[in-house]
Amino acid sequence: MPILLYRIDDRLIHGQVVIGWGRPLGIEFIVLVDSEVSASEWEQELYRMAVPQAVEVVFADVEQARTSLTDWQADPRRGMLLTGTVDSMAAIRGNGGPTIPKINLGGVHHRPGRRQRLPYVYLTDEEYRALIALKEDGIEITAQDVPTTRAVALSELA
Amino acid sequence: MPLAYGRASHGKPIGGGVVSGRGKAFARLFAVQAAWNYERMLGIGMGYAAEPLLAGLEATDSERHAEAAGRSAEFFNCHPYLAGLALGASVAAEYAGESEDRIRRLKTALCGTLGALGDHLFWAGLLPAMMGLALIVAVVWSPWWGVGLFLVGYNGCRVAVAWWGLRTGLDTGMRVGQAIASSWVPRVRRWVGLAAGFLVGVAIPLAGRFLLGGLGRSQILIGVGVAVLGLALAYRFRATFGGVRYGLLAVALVLLWFGVLP
Amino acid sequence: MESSVLMGIGLLWVWATIAGLDLVSVPQSMVARPFIVAVVAGAILGDLLAGARIGIVLELFALDALPIGAARYPDYGAATMGAVLVAAGQPPVAGLGVGAATGLVLAALGGWTMPVLRRANARAIRDRLEMLRTGHAATIRSLQYAGLARDGIRSGLLSLIAIGAGLLIRHLPPLEGDAAAALTVAVVGAGLASVLSGALRTAGRSRRCRWLTAGLLTGSLLAVAL
Repeated sequence: MPILLYRIDDRLIHGQVVIGWGRPLGIEFIVLVDSEVSASEWEQELYRMAVPQAVEVVFADVEQARTSLTDWQADPRRGMLLTGTVDSMAAIRGNGGPTIPKINLGGVHHRPGRRQRLPYVYLTDEEYRALIALKEDGIEITAQDVPTTRAVALSELA
Repeated sequence: MPLAYGRASHGKPIGGGVVSGRGKAFARLFAVQAAWNYERMLGIGMGYAAEPLLAGLEATDSERHAEAAGRSAEFFNCHPYLAGLALGASVAAEYAGESEDRIRRLKTALCGTLGALGDHLFWAGLLPAMMGLALIVAVVWSPWWGVGLFLVGYNGCRVAVAWWGLRTGLDTGMRVGQAIASSWVPRVRRWVGLAAGFLVGVAIPLAGRFLLGGLGRSQILIGVGVAVLGLALAYRFRATFGGVRYGLLAVALVLLWFGVLP
Repeated sequence: MESSVLMGIGLLWVWATIAGLDLVSVPQSMVARPFIVAVVAGAILGDLLAGARIGIVLELFALDALPIGAARYPDYGAATMGAVLVAAGQPPVAGLGVGAATGLVLAALGGWTMPVLRRANARAIRDRLEMLRTGHAATIRSLQYAGLARDGIRSGLLSLIAIGAGLLIRHLPPLEGDAAAALTVAVVGAGLASVLSGALRTAGRSRRCRWLTAGLLTGSLLAVAL
């Protein structure tokens, strides 16, 4: 079973991820790609608490994600990969990295320099261009916070 | 009893600030979403609830107090009933003189964790469980008993959890993660979802019978048919299909069929 | 209009406005749930059973959408009150479908007002960024109270619209028997589909799915036996 959802969400693991997507997709493991969290025990402890016991959380930084993604994709369990930023997702794929079929923009929130594209998606122009580059690389990109709302195409976020 | 923090475990010592104002902060937490917005989410509500708790810091270190008050109103999002855990923990960390970076990271990690825990415990747990029970009681017994049971049961649990959260956060600060992990939360989280599944399951056929009771056999069969068709559609278009939309579609089709709509 | 009727409408307006504020702002005690709003509105209008029927059918729709995170969801408070206003005093089959249909339209409208409010709150913050950075207490307080006031106005207006819609539909010529019954059957069927698909989605592949199945069997047995 491949990784079923590649999601960019700056809240990392939270309700929309665990219940909104995790339940209906039957997710059995979550790969959380964040270099700071992957180096911090107490933060990992907090994020682990957000998921039910049956779900495994794997913490990785971008480099580890680049080398291990094909293994996770070959895992018999149903998985989800999460990054907190557009840059981390782009870095996993960038310069001959492993293949990513689809990206879900789930929540990128307000910060100085970012412009609102959807109520839950704020992007700087550079972030938007990085997403366009990923799209031109053959990756399907849509914004959708929970499964019951419409998936919004990247072109609508211009 | 107010808590006194003498020395920080990390960062600079701040010398004996006293956390008071718990009651006021607790009351303010009930309106933690009053200024909800897409840029800071719960931020303003958290800042408003933090104000009485941070007052003790103002007397000992006014510079730190201004920084802490500013941080308290920054972007934050979690389940509203568990916001007290994050409020308490971050205020305790401010009194303990933790670094700005560690406090921000604590709040970021609590955002997701408390959001997910709260969604499990309340939105997908206690709420459907108590509502399922209320509907069963309303159908079998009386609507007023259903209403009373739901409001008392649900809010009793919710208020107790909110108070526990604020107290635990203030008492444990940066160690709030361990405190939650060793508390009642993981245990209750397992069974409240199962109870919700069961009670909503019992309520559905009873509600169907109550609502379709006065109708003829063929009409009841059509009602069940509409339900089965709706389920099939929901399964097929899972990603974009909401209950209200199906309801409105069914209403529009009936009105068109009978010529009420042009 | 008689003063008792006006008083009843005034009470409904106050009740629905309180429910609107309860949904998100304060105190989230769940009095905004359609079942609760409807039973109280039914009692105010002197038709408790009509209130219970509307409340239960709209609750079936409401249970489908978990208010997870910042996702958008319908606002059932004022909508349910409008629905009860339509159905109260009518025979069950005639009132339920028309009332609930009114409620669904109003709930969708109510859901649409929420992002408008949230954007207004964000605009207010943008004008006071420097004061917020330094944690200026009066600024935080004023933003909090202004947010509360905005939601109060939103809820009050939505309740007025719901009362207007309810009274208007009540005074339209009634649907003929077959059409009214068909509407009731369609709305109840759609409600059952909503609650079931929501429950299955939330249960996913977890153990909860087995408990849901056990509940459905138990409920079916009870429904036949009672």
